[in-house]
Amino acid sequence: MTETEIKTHENFTLPASLVTKIDVSRLVSEVERVDNEMTASAVRAKAGSGEQTQPMLSDQLSEFLHQNNLTLENSIERSNLIKELRLLKDKAPVLHMTFSVTADVESLQKLTDWVRTTVHPQAVIAVGLQPALVAGVYLRTPNHVHDLSVRGALQGRHGLLVEELESLRGSK
Amino acid sequence: MGIFQHKKPEVKKTPQEEASDAVVNYIDETFKDELRTFGRSYFEKIINDTGALFQQDLNTTIGQVNVQLQDHVTKQLDVAIAQVNVELKDRVAKQLEGQFTEYNNEMKQAQEVALKTLTENSEQLQAEYQDLRTTLQKNVADQKVTLTNVFEENKVRIAEMKEAQDMALKSLNDSAQALKDQYAQINATLEKNVADQQQVLVSAFEDNMGRIIEHYLLGALGDQYDLKAQLPSIIHQMEENKQAIVDDMKL
Repeated sequence: MTETEIKTHENFTLPASLVTKIDVSRLVSEVERVDNEMTASAVRAKAGSGEQTQPMLSDQLSEFLHQNNLTLENSIERSNLIKELRLLKDKAPVLHMTFSVTADVESLQKLTDWVRTTVHPQAVIAVGLQPALVAGVYLRTPNHVHDLSVRGALQGRHGLLVEELESLRGSK
Repeated sequence: MGIFQHKKPEVKKTPQEEASDAVVNYIDETFKDELRTFGRSYFEKIINDTGALFQQDLNTTIGQVNVQLQDHVTKQLDVAIAQVNVELKDRVAKQLEGQFTEYNNEMKQAQEVALKTLTENSEQLQAEYQDLRTTLQKNVADQKVTLTNVFEENKVRIAEMKEAQDMALKSLNDSAQALKDQYAQINATLEKNVADQQQVLVSAFEDNMGRIIEHYLLGALGDQYDLKAQLPSIIHQMEENKQAIVDDMKL
């Protein structure tokens, strides 16, 4: 790990593939697994039973490490990373986004990209499904709710519909 | 003539003798029988003719006798009947005269009795009429007095009733007017309520119709769009609400 910037959970750059809190948890579990494997491998190497092998890393972890210029060579680094990742998991701001259809990965990644660019760099998304929304998204932030769905638009313009019906009644 | 008999010598006869012998020879049994038969048949014929003539005479005689007898009997009968008629007529006339006389007497008696009875009845009726007349006059006088009294009483009562009627009529008119006013008021209130109810119902209908249309649109458009198609719109809307979202995340 380069010492130019100390990476903490507050300045982690999260890859687009890391969308939800579950993904973060998975990342934490993976780092812990890698840490265990590498520790065991080191011990075995010291004991002379074999060479130290590099564990398999997932694309998500590789991307994360690459974007944050992190390595897992050092056990201290790995421990710090695990600690920071756990903090990230607990403290990352969550945007609850409910869609009317099942969200595909690509769309989610684009959304995540936008959220991290515009709203918060460590924000994660909690995805929900509510077909009654028809289209759009029902966004829930820690203290507010933003109904950006077609259903909400229709409800918001309910008065307009009633006015139209009244004018139709009046014209007859 | 036999074989051993000698032919007698022929004796010559006179023509008379010959004729009588011829007659005797001619008139044999056969001839006699024929004569007999002829005589019988002639006799029978004579008898039959005579009988027929006799019968004819007899029939004629009987016919004549019948006619004469009939005439005689008829004459006798006519005489007898005429006599009987005369006698009968006399007798019947006498009897009828006697009976008529008797009936006349009896009718006269009956008429006298009836006349007497009628006279008595008539007198009786007259007496009764007189009595009834007297009684009727008395009753009429009494009734007149009674009616006069009743009339006077009723007159007063009628006046009182009229007064009461007038008051009742006035009261009814007042009630009717009050009812009319109440009716008008109720009518106005009812119309207003109906109008209000109508407005409420129409508003509810329009509201429900709006919901129905929304529901329909939601149902109709539900499965039309996938997230990829919606993404630009979602991002656009989030851009519009970006500041609010950022501020909320900072809190």
